[in-house]
Amino acid sequence: MLKKVYISAAKQISAQLPLTDDWTNHPRYYQESFVPAVDPDYKLYFHPNTSRRLGKILKRALLVSRQVLDASGIKLPEAIITSTGFGCIENTEIFLHSLVKNGEQLLKPTQFMQSTHNTISSLIAIDCCCHSYNMTYSHKNLSFECALLDAYIQLKNNTIKSALVGGFDELTPNFHALLQRLKELEAGKTFRSETAVGMMLTNQLLPTTLCCLDGIETFYGPDAHRLKESLDKMLKQAGYVLNEVDAVLTGCNGMYSDEQIYNQWCTELFAGKEQIRYKHLFGDSFTSSGIGVYVAATCLHRRQIPVHFFASQNRAPQNGTKHLLLYHLSENKTHSLILLSSCGN
Amino acid sequence: MMRRLHIPETAITTRTSLMGMIAAREAIEQACPENMRPYRIALVSGTTVGGMDKSEQYYLDFLSNETKNAYIATHDCGSCTEMIADYFGLFSTVNTLSTACSSAANAIMLGAMLIRDGRADIVVAGGCECITKFHLNGFNTLMILDKEVCRPFDATRAGLNLGEGAAYLVLESEDTARQRHIESICHLSGYANTCDAYHQTASSPEGEGAYLAMQNALKSAGLRPSDIGYINAHGTGTSDNDLSEGIAIQRIFGNGIPPVSSTKAFTGHTTSAAGSIEAVISLLALQHNFIPVNLHFSRQMDELRFRPATDEKPVKPLRHVLSNSFGFGGNDTSFIFSKINPLC
Repeated sequence: MLKKVYISAAKQISAQLPLTDDWTNHPRYYQESFVPAVDPDYKLYFHPNTSRRLGKILKRALLVSRQVLDASGIKLPEAIITSTGFGCIENTEIFLHSLVKNGEQLLKPTQFMQSTHNTISSLIAIDCCCHSYNMTYSHKNLSFECALLDAYIQLKNNTIKSALVGGFDELTPNFHALLQRLKELEAGKTFRSETAVGMMLTNQLLPTTLCCLDGIETFYGPDAHRLKESLDKMLKQAGYVLNEVDAVLTGCNGMYSDEQIYNQWCTELFAGKEQIRYKHLFGDSFTSSGIGVYVAATCLHRRQIPVHFFASQNRAPQNGTKHLLLYHLSENKTHSLILLSSCGN
Repeated sequence: MMRRLHIPETAITTRTSLMGMIAAREAIEQACPENMRPYRIALVSGTTVGGMDKSEQYYLDFLSNETKNAYIATHDCGSCTEMIADYFGLFSTVNTLSTACSSAANAIMLGAMLIRDGRADIVVAGGCECITKFHLNGFNTLMILDKEVCRPFDATRAGLNLGEGAAYLVLESEDTARQRHIESICHLSGYANTCDAYHQTASSPEGEGAYLAMQNALKSAGLRPSDIGYINAHGTGTSDNDLSEGIAIQRIFGNGIPPVSSTKAFTGHTTSAAGSIEAVISLLALQHNFIPVNLHFSRQMDELRFRPATDEKPVKPLRHVLSNSFGFGGNDTSFIFSKINPLC
């Protein structure tokens, strides 16, 4: 018997105010092309030694995870599954810089230890003494989806009953400058940012549950037919139709090139559906789709989509939101579909 | 490698992805690619250094000019998988795991999960990793490199030797194999991943993570410890790993420890590729009924009751082989390969 899968707590540190859903009413807007995450005051949460020892991505990941565990009341998850596109880029950069500039001398082990991608999920496991399944995905913009998919499969099949799922990416000014050479983000339209998002997935409805995760699928290569087929299957299994989906939350970042390609695919896949977006508030990172899931889960829990997620803001918020579809595509190569619905609690 | 793959010399690639392409191509060719196309095929690959070879080579260029911009885009792990995927043009989905030295083992495990859940019919799963100055120096700062040849499970062991490589398995369900008229090599009968949750790079003295991984893999395969005919250990040759893994093996197998060996003295520690390279070695052992020996063994470790296998003849015909892959962060994965008809 397949189980239903729920998102039972979610927390973030991002370009919006940290560890709160304040963005639903008071979003922050930015005019820069690189916006670092708004960090909470770590002194309130960590011993100074811990704070000093850990790089910023690790501090964020640890704090977000602890808060998700607290919020869900699950102290020991049955899986810790994280994702990161670039990993601990700050320490990687320091180690690499030192390596190249100082001729392989004077290197520090801590920076190496804290540069490996899976040091994040390992740290979380050590912190909560969790010997369970521990996984790290790193596949560009699909990283978070890979983690979510793993959790979803195991929860649905009841191999595990809970999974802490996270998406973590940090950025340095230097690395941002390099990335700008590949794809220049236009300040004022969109920005590159940092992501730390954690959520507790369960296969039982908890008092804290935000929404149901009805399905997730990832795709490689542009094949509209396969995407449609998969979406139909997902909807069928979830027991509702595309008409009942209130809106499609896309990963479109607002740049002209992104608008064009998203428009083309959205018309092909879900013509006429209202589109909403979140990256103008949270920015772009390899794991920002995790923020997308968090935003959608929060909206479904509140049964409302705030005005600032719609392309046209001359309207009222959408109330009674029940079903949301998330659609992400990247470089016209990878696509992902995630279906979420309110569970009426 | 580029010539061998018929890739133009001007193409943007990384050493890790090229090794991945060669290994994946060999695996696919062996698995009868002629009738694969109608199936949903996934590529699941593990790597940790990704495109670091080029990043470290061109770092000064990145800082001072724009001539090597193309290699900024190949730095991350996912790019490596996509370069491999694009070489074949076969895959309807791709996925990259990065759990350091257990990456490839976890890729194989995820591959099995995707097939069992009906999300893919065929999965090409494994890992690839080239040597970089970055992780060579990183391991050096941790003081776990042996300047001599490595000696896993030996009392005189003094660290690991880094290696590089790639290996992939083609996984499919029994149904798909039957439809495609494939004679499978063996059955992936059990797997498990656990976390030692002890230290970010060192393993716990009692080998809790390793113990749980092996135990859970046995449970998932529905086998008893006495069913296992050979253990391909992680056995890096570091003081910590071999002690911790050895103790975990003793805890599970008690007085019935099957032949155990580490094959890293043949290959070096191929980090993110180790899990799939050793999976291939385990498959060959099962297929040809031999024990891959543990090279450079001279003195038994005082703390352990067993010595690694140095005789290639198995005591009894091999039916089930267990392979361990452990990574930084106490990421421990074990899987079990079984003969298709283990009772025959």
